[in-house]
Amino acid sequence: MTIKIAVIQFPGSNCDLDTLHVLNNVISNGIEAELIWHNHFKEAQFDGVVLPGGFSFGDYLRSGIIAAHSPALDEARIMLKGGKPIIGICNGFQILAEAQFLPGALLRNDSLKFICKWVNIRVENNKTAFTSKMNIGDVLAIPIAHGEGRYYTDNLKELEENNQIVFRYSTENGELTEQANPNGSLESIAGVCNLEQNCLGLMPHPERASEPILSPKQTMHGRLFFESMVEFIKGRVS
Amino acid sequence: MPKVLSNGDELDVDLTEPEIKQIKDLLERAPTITEWGMFDVMHSEHCSYKSSRPKLKLFEDAEKNYDYVLAGPGQDAGVIDIGDGFALAFRIESHNHPSAIEPYHGAATGIGGIIRDILCMGVRPIALLDPLRFGPLKGNPHSQWLFKYVVKGIADYGNCTGIPTIGGEVEFDKSFESNCLVNVACIGLGTIEDFEHAPSKAYNPGDYVILMGGSTGRDGIHGVTFASRTLTEMSEADRPAVQIGDPFTKKMIIEATLEAVKTGYVRGLKDLGGGGLSCALSELTGDGGTGGDIDMSKIFTREPGMNSFEVMLSESQERMAFIVKPEGLETILDVFRKFEMAHAVIGRTDDSKVLKVKDGDYLVVNLPATALSDAPTIPREEKRPEYLDELIAQQTPEPIKGLEEIIYDLIASENICSKEWVYRQYDHEVGVRSVVKCGEGDSGVLRIIGTNKFLAASVGINSKHCYLNPYEGAKGGLVEICGNVIANGAKPMAMVNCCNFGNPEIPESFWYFSNAVKGMADFCKQLRIPIIGGNVSFYNEDEVSKTAIKPAPVIMIVGIIEGKEKIITLPFKKTGDDILLIGETKAELGGSEYHSVIYDLEGGTSPHLDEKKIKATWDFLFELYKKNLVKANHDVNKGGLMITIAEMCFKNNLGAELDFNGCYNDNLRDDEFLFSESVGRFIIETPPKDYNKIMEIAKHLNVNVKKVGNLIANPEIYIKGLKGKNIKLDVNKMKKLHEATIPSLMEI
Repeated sequence: MTIKIAVIQFPGSNCDLDTLHVLNNVISNGIEAELIWHNHFKEAQFDGVVLPGGFSFGDYLRSGIIAAHSPALDEARIMLKGGKPIIGICNGFQILAEAQFLPGALLRNDSLKFICKWVNIRVENNKTAFTSKMNIGDVLAIPIAHGEGRYYTDNLKELEENNQIVFRYSTENGELTEQANPNGSLESIAGVCNLEQNCLGLMPHPERASEPILSPKQTMHGRLFFESMVEFIKGRVS
Repeated sequence: MPKVLSNGDELDVDLTEPEIKQIKDLLERAPTITEWGMFDVMHSEHCSYKSSRPKLKLFEDAEKNYDYVLAGPGQDAGVIDIGDGFALAFRIESHNHPSAIEPYHGAATGIGGIIRDILCMGVRPIALLDPLRFGPLKGNPHSQWLFKYVVKGIADYGNCTGIPTIGGEVEFDKSFESNCLVNVACIGLGTIEDFEHAPSKAYNPGDYVILMGGSTGRDGIHGVTFASRTLTEMSEADRPAVQIGDPFTKKMIIEATLEAVKTGYVRGLKDLGGGGLSCALSELTGDGGTGGDIDMSKIFTREPGMNSFEVMLSESQERMAFIVKPEGLETILDVFRKFEMAHAVIGRTDDSKVLKVKDGDYLVVNLPATALSDAPTIPREEKRPEYLDELIAQQTPEPIKGLEEIIYDLIASENICSKEWVYRQYDHEVGVRSVVKCGEGDSGVLRIIGTNKFLAASVGINSKHCYLNPYEGAKGGLVEICGNVIANGAKPMAMVNCCNFGNPEIPESFWYFSNAVKGMADFCKQLRIPIIGGNVSFYNEDEVSKTAIKPAPVIMIVGIIEGKEKIITLPFKKTGDDILLIGETKAELGGSEYHSVIYDLEGGTSPHLDEKKIKATWDFLFELYKKNLVKANHDVNKGGLMITIAEMCFKNNLGAELDFNGCYNDNLRDDEFLFSESVGRFIIETPPKDYNKIMEIAKHLNVNVKKVGNLIANPEIYIKGLKGKNIKLDVNKMKKLHEATIPSLMEI
């Protein structure tokens, strides 16, 4: 079967081509990914969707807020209800949080500076549409590149009870330390999912961690996200 | 400053009296006030290179002499053919004056401008590099302010446009205190076909002229004339001459332009930078041998009531001019509509060879298309500064402290310490091409997807060396920057430069420029490196203190690595491996960091080089690469060879046992050997079993190679074989010092 994935292009998206490259040339495996301009997106034509990183609409007002009102998000809402997988990476996460697909908000990094570096994240939930190929406690090497990635929520307890915390920043050995938390996120949270677990948002960039040549330690942990998505879609169809 | 009059309007111009006369004679009438403004801008030093052009003729014709050069000097960017159907475009330019007044927007719009230069070659911008120069940070809040906001300006603009910043250089020196240098470089990648679709000229009469992107406002009017003067205390009042950048619009312009070029209906393309519409329209028609009929009312402005003078001279950012085939007009407009980019058809080209701009019923511009670009050159006097002999004669004092302490001081000094504080703020990975990342190599290395090729790029210059000897200093800069890409395994393919100097009207300042250009031209001719572009920034001179910056002919080199297995990185890798020093160390401490950090001295004998030896060293390294014998490589520069070795130990937390016995000439002092900045040297890591093989190659090519020690697991460096006593260095302590300097100065 062919798995159709939409990579949404908002004005100002800048990891769209990178994500497309990884889906079509690195993962492939039956995937046919396509770039879709945000107001041309029709959910019925696709099995899953990626909201890529970047600076949608320049992020001038507040990261993700304008894109959260794009018609693409109305389509995505239908998808969400239908149980299809949606992932928001970096700016995509900010958009999903602003559109209230996901709980919480992304605030300015505690250093008040943009940070580009490789970090480690620990898997907290492997039941989502994007983490089935991982084990709880696994540590993934993956880069971040953002100025507003400090996760915050008023409902931490609820998130914990509902198992919505998917990743936390950690050391290479999986310990949660202040130093391993690059942006001051609450409880080191790097990624969260919705109650139904078919929508994931995270600040790190899996598409930049999918090929050994780009990784400091020749890892390719980013592939696990997209491979899990493929497995999830195949499971839904069969 | 002369005044010109037209219909009762009065204008101060930077034109000379002979220029004013020449213009009147050419037109056989008095120009309109708009035309005067256009001449003023286009004949400014910034646009016309009127002082520098006679010297730049020394650069040989790269397009004629190198078959892989597709575009050479004089175009918006240099372009080379790298095989497999791909073209690389690159360019470097300065944005010094705006950044000195308004660091955030000055730096940001510098990035914006260089991106447009690459984009108008029809290719996608894929990397940025930024060589920066400021006054020392310590105890200097003004320098800290400039440094902080220049870096933030670059980060905010570059990150938003999705172009990774993969390299750069930062130098701190008193001479840059009131004239900081912000140079910006960009690399673009596309197919040969993309490049061929986008010449910067309008050569076909009857085509449409479309303006796309940001609106035309009152910002940046006369920005280039401001850049062609020295900064004074009055310059604060010039703040309105600094443009405001909009990286989001720029990102949309990139996508819309590339999509438009792909349609095949674009016949010419030009960005609006210095000189705004005046420059773009006159160069498009002038270079294309056509004329143009432009309707000013069609140009969308940011505010009502702008007159023709303001519209033609505005340097508002984020604008592109397209020359479009008549049959493709609707297709191109549809592309702009999709991206919701403002655009207007502002006129058509014709065969009149005259550029006409109408404002309602008035013909406000009516000039021969080539008139604006035919600025006269001005021969400048040059004179070797009298202070140089005394400066060069300075002797190195007897060391005032122990060698260990000196090395710890050097590794923590502002010019040698880690620049991680800077590059963490730059997205250096977007584009999924960055293979050797900031801090891991002497250059930034990107893969070229769809081929087995990699590009390596580096920028920089040693201004202290150039100050003592601009001819040798410029050559030494080339050796170092070529050395950076070679250290990563790349063959240098082409060079572009950005010449930052003082006031060309002062003979001593012009002497520096003239000699640096000669040095670059001579070296490149001998080593067969095409010079495919350049930019000149004069007037980096402080009016109050009457001092010029140290000369900074900043060099950018792009090289190609043929295959993933040929990429070499900086960090030492394995305990037990040999450490080899390639190249000869001479008593060349003039302009060294050792002199400056330890003794606050600027003088002495600076490095001199022999092109034949440089060539042999490079051939030797490529011979070793071919046989896969090199595991790590780092060129020796600021601070000398101990700094190089220490930096290579950091990443994998290794140490070294060094024995310098027999490694240096008997008449060299220990500090001369350890801290000399003789150019063309490398430290490499090689497997011990290959030692004999390597020495044979060295002997055959007549290259000076010395084994200086071995790698050890314990992170300490033990040094024996000096004339003085043995020394021991703690790698962890050095690493901490290396990393702490900038954060401790900037984050108080």
